[in-house]
Amino acid sequence: MVPLVLYVLLASAMFTIGLYGLLTQRNGIKLMMCVEILLNSANINLVAFSSYLPNQNGQVFALFSIALAAAEAGVGFAILITLYRLYGTIELDNINSLRW
Amino acid sequence: MYSDYAYLIVALPVLAFVLTIFLGWHLPKGGGFFTVLATFAGFILSFGILREIYPTNIIVHQSTHWFANFNVGILIDPLAIVMLLMVTFVCTMIHTYALGYMEGDPGLARYFAEAGLFTAAMLGLVYSDNLLQLFIFWELVGLCSYLLIGFWYRKPSAASAAKKAFLVTRVGDVMFLAGIVILYTNMMRIGLPEGTYVLQFQTIYDNLVNIPPDQLTWIALLLFGGAVGKSGQFPLHVWLPDAMEGPTTVSAMIHAATMVTAGVYLVARMFPLFYAAPHALTVVALIGAFTALFAATMGLVMFDIKRVLAYSTVSQLGYMMAALGVGAAVGAGAVGVGMFHLIGHSFFKALLFLCAGSVIHAVGTNDMREMGGVLKSMKWTSLTMLAGSLTLVGFPLTTGFFSKDEIIVTAFEYGTLGNGWLPYIFVIVAALLTAIYSFRLWFLTFDGTPRSDYHKHESPWVMLGPLVILALFALFMGVGLNTGQDENPFYTYVGNNFDHYGVDFEELAVVGGHQVVHEAEAHGETGESHGIFLTIIHLLPILFGVGGILIAALFYSRWKRFDSSMITTERDPLRHLLLKRYYQNEIYTLWFAEKVVYGISLLANMIDLKIVDGTVNKISELLVGFGGSVRKLQTGVIQNYITAIVLGLAVLLILIQLATLEVAI
Repeated sequence: MVPLVLYVLLASAMFTIGLYGLLTQRNGIKLMMCVEILLNSANINLVAFSSYLPNQNGQVFALFSIALAAAEAGVGFAILITLYRLYGTIELDNINSLRW
Repeated sequence: MYSDYAYLIVALPVLAFVLTIFLGWHLPKGGGFFTVLATFAGFILSFGILREIYPTNIIVHQSTHWFANFNVGILIDPLAIVMLLMVTFVCTMIHTYALGYMEGDPGLARYFAEAGLFTAAMLGLVYSDNLLQLFIFWELVGLCSYLLIGFWYRKPSAASAAKKAFLVTRVGDVMFLAGIVILYTNMMRIGLPEGTYVLQFQTIYDNLVNIPPDQLTWIALLLFGGAVGKSGQFPLHVWLPDAMEGPTTVSAMIHAATMVTAGVYLVARMFPLFYAAPHALTVVALIGAFTALFAATMGLVMFDIKRVLAYSTVSQLGYMMAALGVGAAVGAGAVGVGMFHLIGHSFFKALLFLCAGSVIHAVGTNDMREMGGVLKSMKWTSLTMLAGSLTLVGFPLTTGFFSKDEIIVTAFEYGTLGNGWLPYIFVIVAALLTAIYSFRLWFLTFDGTPRSDYHKHESPWVMLGPLVILALFALFMGVGLNTGQDENPFYTYVGNNFDHYGVDFEELAVVGGHQVVHEAEAHGETGESHGIFLTIIHLLPILFGVGGILIAALFYSRWKRFDSSMITTERDPLRHLLLKRYYQNEIYTLWFAEKVVYGISLLANMIDLKIVDGTVNKISELLVGFGGSVRKLQTGVIQNYITAIVLGLAVLLILIQLATLEVAI
């Protein structure tokens, strides 16, 4: 069996990558992808701990989380499409008409 | 049985109001028959109630809880029932007449709706059983008068007259409300048992002696202030002549039945309070008598037929107030005397206005200088108008004779008791002037030869019918009530109104410091010495009345012997004073309104703009400035926020780590 620490390391690596992406990227789609990476790193943790415990709750929560992520992606991309139609770009720095 | 349906007396005209305002446009005559029928049904009901309560001498009282210590209720006592009968009857006549008079007016439905509401408001005012409910209907009456005076709202003069009526009566209403508030405070201070309805008339009458006399005086004066506004007493009478801008039927309603009598009714209703309040009755007597004379002098010189009648109303209202005021000398009987004049006046003043309306309808002008000789073409109108004028003058055996004579004699008794002769002098001189101006009006309008080319035709019977009925009442009501050997049953019935509440006038007379006639006689202070003198006092009003008619005939009729130029010239200052209406316009509008009030308004406006608004604006400017500088923190760039969150989280984690390390150490 793969030791738990590897899973945790993988998850934290993914989280760091996602966070880095969020902090540095300006493109809407890239940001969405980073958010997905963040969510999935959490899911890996949930499933890993669940199978080590052994307790099925974690896996159930992971499924929930995946479903939520799918919904979030749907809404998020819909917003991005609308933004693109309005502004002709999805570079978030350029979308600032509500800013002071 | 009828008294169970007493609420319908108000409910039916309100229903008529709703029906005519929504459906009137689609109905012939603007749905006016709804209003007529509803008012007439009110008259039938009132008459039924009279038949129930008069023989057994009971009162009807229905009451239900409203909120806190207030109730809504119906109270029909002698005072209320005579008013109910008068208002419903006179209003039925006026509404019927209006079916003919207002024919063809585009706002017909609106007219009848507002007239119905006006009637309902007045009826509600009359049978309220507490002061708060009375005040609500009082305001409703004010509103309806505003709507109806400004009925032809496209005419600037009508719009401004409506505004004037509303604002001037408002001055009185504010005083009335202040009086109610002070009364309420005092009643609460007495410590009435839990669940007592504080402003109910019964409660007020019961507790008059427990209120400090100086407070009573203030309350009475403030309530009288309300009555002054509503009943057009000096100095708040200015709105009444201007109210002529409405249709003539509205003038008839306001002047006879539904509005100006409310003030007199209020004083009559609260008479025990006035009686117990030292000095308040003196003020009522003086203001009333002065108004009677003051308005009569202005009636002498007006040329607008409706304005003459308007000043005559003001003058007659002065009589009623004076009758109540001199009640200091006769006690509760004064209510009977004042109310009898009120009822009689309603009949003949409605009659006079409707006749004037009939003439205006035919001739097409208000100016008496352009009339003359109308008698030939309008026999019925002329004769009914003559009946009305005779009654107004107090010609022997007409209703006005009985009512006005009684007031003048009471004023005389008031004088003999050492309360001052001014009221008597004022009312007796006013009686002479009344005769002169009313017959000046009659002769100028109906006698002589036509002075302009007007249409000569009699009005239709829907207008003449009410005139004839009202004329019969104006002429014969007094005789009908005075046939027996006993005292006029009206005086005893209405005069004893307050016995139903157990009001002890002798106790109140002590509080108010009055000396009553029969008491004084018991002390032998007046005595029987002036038997022949008293006859003269009784005859004097008749002499003055008939003399006034003769003077008017000598100056204005076809048997003219003198011309007004013989006693007065164009430059006569007195004539100028009267024609200018005592410079009221200059004093009220030009000086008071445009200088004093306008100055105060400017000052208030400045304070409002600079200080009140200024403070608020400064505070908001400060906040906006602060917010403007702080909001730069919110960059709106998501990455900045995330960076802050991550940094915060990192710091938090490090701190927790350090803390656990310390604990471990």
